[in-house]
Amino acid sequence: MSQDVLLLGLISAVWAVLALAYALVPMLNMPGSALIWGSGAGLFLGLALWVRRG
Amino acid sequence: MTPNTHSSLSDSLAALAPGDRRLIRSLFIAALAALALGLLLGLWVALARAGWARPDLPETGYRLLTLHGVAVFFDWLTLAQAGLLLVLAAQERKAPLSLAWMGWAGLVVMLVAFVLHLLGTVWGNPLLYDGSPELVAEASQGALLFYSGYGALALGLVLLALPGLATLVKARKAGSGSWSALGFGAFAWAGLLLVSAIALANTFLPAILWAAGWGGMPADHATLWHLLFHNMHYLPLLGTMLAWYLLLPELTGARSIFGSGFSKLVFCLYLVFVPPTSLYHMFLEPGLDPMVLVLGSLLSLFIGVPTIAAFLVVMTSLEAHGRARGARGGLGWLKALDWSQTATHSLAAAVINLALGGVLAFVLIQEKLAGLLSDTFFVPGYFHFMTLGVVTLSLLTVAERIAPALGGRGGSVAWARYLPWLITLGLFLFGVAGVVAGSQGMPRRVLDASYEGLAPTSWVLLSWIIGIGALLMALGLGLMVARIGAAYLGFGPKALAAEQPQAALEELALKQGAWGASLAVALLLTLITAATWGAFALMRSLPVIAIGGAGH
Repeated sequence: MSQDVLLLGLISAVWAVLALAYALVPMLNMPGSALIWGSGAGLFLGLALWVRRG
Repeated sequence: MTPNTHSSLSDSLAALAPGDRRLIRSLFIAALAALALGLLLGLWVALARAGWARPDLPETGYRLLTLHGVAVFFDWLTLAQAGLLLVLAAQERKAPLSLAWMGWAGLVVMLVAFVLHLLGTVWGNPLLYDGSPELVAEASQGALLFYSGYGALALGLVLLALPGLATLVKARKAGSGSWSALGFGAFAWAGLLLVSAIALANTFLPAILWAAGWGGMPADHATLWHLLFHNMHYLPLLGTMLAWYLLLPELTGARSIFGSGFSKLVFCLYLVFVPPTSLYHMFLEPGLDPMVLVLGSLLSLFIGVPTIAAFLVVMTSLEAHGRARGARGGLGWLKALDWSQTATHSLAAAVINLALGGVLAFVLIQEKLAGLLSDTFFVPGYFHFMTLGVVTLSLLTVAERIAPALGGRGGSVAWARYLPWLITLGLFLFGVAGVVAGSQGMPRRVLDASYEGLAPTSWVLLSWIIGIGALLMALGLGLMVARIGAAYLGFGPKALAAEQPQAALEELALKQGAWGASLAVALLLTLITAATWGAFALMRSLPVIAIGGAGH
């Protein structure tokens, strides 16, 4: 797997973890956070797959 | 500083279809028009605060302020960044753009967004650019237009990002199967553009439905706005770094001595740090868990890491190349730059403004200070360094540089070299007076800072200095926008053939000691520490009442 795809995947993974944290940890509850970062995680995963397929 | 800048930017733009060049040119013309309008409105507001101009009614002043924010922060920055993205894609692809029709559609939608914002602001209540539903009152039709402007902006962002993404994917496939650092950075940046579109829709869709009578009043608008704004902070900063990477080989012939892989990692860091650093926006919420305060404070320290890393890569590479070409002494490599070019002056001014804005940003995000300063003039005092002094100057430099390749003019005139420094002088007066006024509690969103004679005398004096700073900024920026705008419209002196920068001496550059950028960062960190200490000391000595709120 190329560095380009790996880095896009890394972004997706970090955003997904943060989205989960914002969604599941009550003290981090900030309305809209989980949705934005979760959508972003999905988006960057999609971009990584698009790049991989070329 | 890409590894594939063998052909110059002009050659890459020449490889585009004529329609592609017209699209990029149209984007920059629309962007410059938005900037010119926003500039005039901002100047009017600053003069009103100084008592030198009086809008007929308070609502008129707030309408000017609303449109200033929307025209500059959303219309100018979005259109110019869309233009930059297509330029970066062209640089990587060196062939016509993909999905160019979508870019045209995006431009039309962006113009519709601007008209909706204009109508909503004039017809409804002035909501300021965050569009707080609490200010709508009975004027829901005007608010619907205003909110729909943001809805259109979200759609415009998607339409403008997709041609860039598609072109970059094709470039990668047609090339060696991997991007240059600049290509990767542009692709990741375009992804963040799409996330910003999602954030716009997330913030304003509930407001649109509410204003149309199809839903309840949005309960979390302020928090959603903070999330959107957090994205909109990072977006132009990453765009600025990409602009520097694009321009420096053009101007100096220098390329990154750190290699493409490291630069990609630096661009990736921007995206990695976006979500965790958003936590500090919660500092303005009441009743926060102490753990969140600690966590938010720690994470907020990472906010400048990617920009500092990108700065180190660019400046260290520049210094190493300068020394490889024979520059001597501590600052010999700086003196050896081509100071006959306006672009060199603009980027140098942008670096200085980045340092000033960066120091103030770190003061503002301290948990103990955020609540005290967020609704004061400290905020515009700091962010004009970033939005105007760094981002706008860098985007204008790109616009100026590519004008001849897009069919415009763009000949060099000596006086243009002084404009970035005039803008910086204005910013310095505006910013320093604003920060001092903010530290004394002077509110940011009022038109009469004297409070009819009841305010401290220093507020009046500081508002005058802010007004003088705004005048100088407006003069410098107005002349710069007029000159570049004229070049895009075919007026002004013809550009001479660009002098090719000196060839890169990569092997020799790698052997040079280049500590200038590292020392600059060390100085910056010292200044941040000193400024934070000073701000705390000042706050303890003043009888300031925290007014809190949801400023930013």
